[in-house]
Amino acid sequence: MKTPREILFQRHQTAESKLDTVRCEVLSAEFVRGGRRVADTASLPSLLWRELVWPCRRIWTGLAAAWIFILAVNFSIEDKSEIVAQKSSTPEMIMTWQQQERVLAELIGPNEARAAVSPKPFSPRPSSERFFETLVV
Amino acid sequence: MLVVAEPEQLPVLQARAGEPAAWDTLFRRYQLPLYVYVFELVHDEQASLDLVQETFIAAVRHIGGLRDEARFGSWLFGISHQKCIQQWRKQNREELLRDEIADTPDEFDDGPDDLLIRREQETEFMNLLNQLLLPQRSVLLLHFVEDFSLEEIARITETQIGTVKSRLHYAKKSLRKLLEKKK
Repeated sequence: MKTPREILFQRHQTAESKLDTVRCEVLSAEFVRGGRRVADTASLPSLLWRELVWPCRRIWTGLAAAWIFILAVNFSIEDKSEIVAQKSSTPEMIMTWQQQERVLAELIGPNEARAAVSPKPFSPRPSSERFFETLVV
Repeated sequence: MLVVAEPEQLPVLQARAGEPAAWDTLFRRYQLPLYVYVFELVHDEQASLDLVQETFIAAVRHIGGLRDEARFGSWLFGISHQKCIQQWRKQNREELLRDEIADTPDEFDDGPDDLLIRREQETEFMNLLNQLLLPQRSVLLLHFVEDFSLEEIARITETQIGTVKSRLHYAKKSLRKLLEKKK
């Protein structure tokens, strides 16, 4: 009696020599002789890409998509406000606005003059003094 | 008799540091189990050797992505599983990856060696294994070849633990049923 594992390994035992070749090929291709991996001495951007970006590529893609969406929305809003500003700054609009400003200044003018007169300061006095004041008047 | 090294004895830290000798030890340990897993899924000798090679290269290049050294084995099988999926996609066999699982069994305590096969049943066992749907076969192979836990198989195959549980349960059940019929 054998376990499934034993059957499976026995069946593929002949592939060992080919797998040894594969292993040696990978090791010789990926490592410099007697040293460390060639890629380990690679430049910082590639190292950052491999260690930081690539393992979480889905998250980075999602974040990038979100930012692109936000920027697109932001740009579309800015465009609209620019159009409104352009429309409002036509010469006719400026003339009308200046005219309205003048009319407003004329209307507000007298009120401002009245407001300029300083009110009489209030000084509390005894009620006996107020009686003489009334008599004199 | 195959001697399986304990995960803590494997020189994963040294491999991470870029020592070729450590990588050699790791590749020696996993080359046959990986080949068995890949071959039983793709059924092509050259393609299987290529996939093992690609798995090894990816492991060396992306060892920085491994968070837990104790999980090196399942991490390596996860890479080869993804390579197999890419291979199936090339062959337009995506529909074979889908299967319908009715429900999840309540209890699961079967070990990988609880299924014992007689010498005269060996060929029959292999034929029956190949009749299983790809997802079920994949889960069963991971269970047989490396005795991975349900959590590890779920991580390797990127599926829910309940799905793994039911796939394994029904694969073993159907295998047992077929073996009993042939007695």
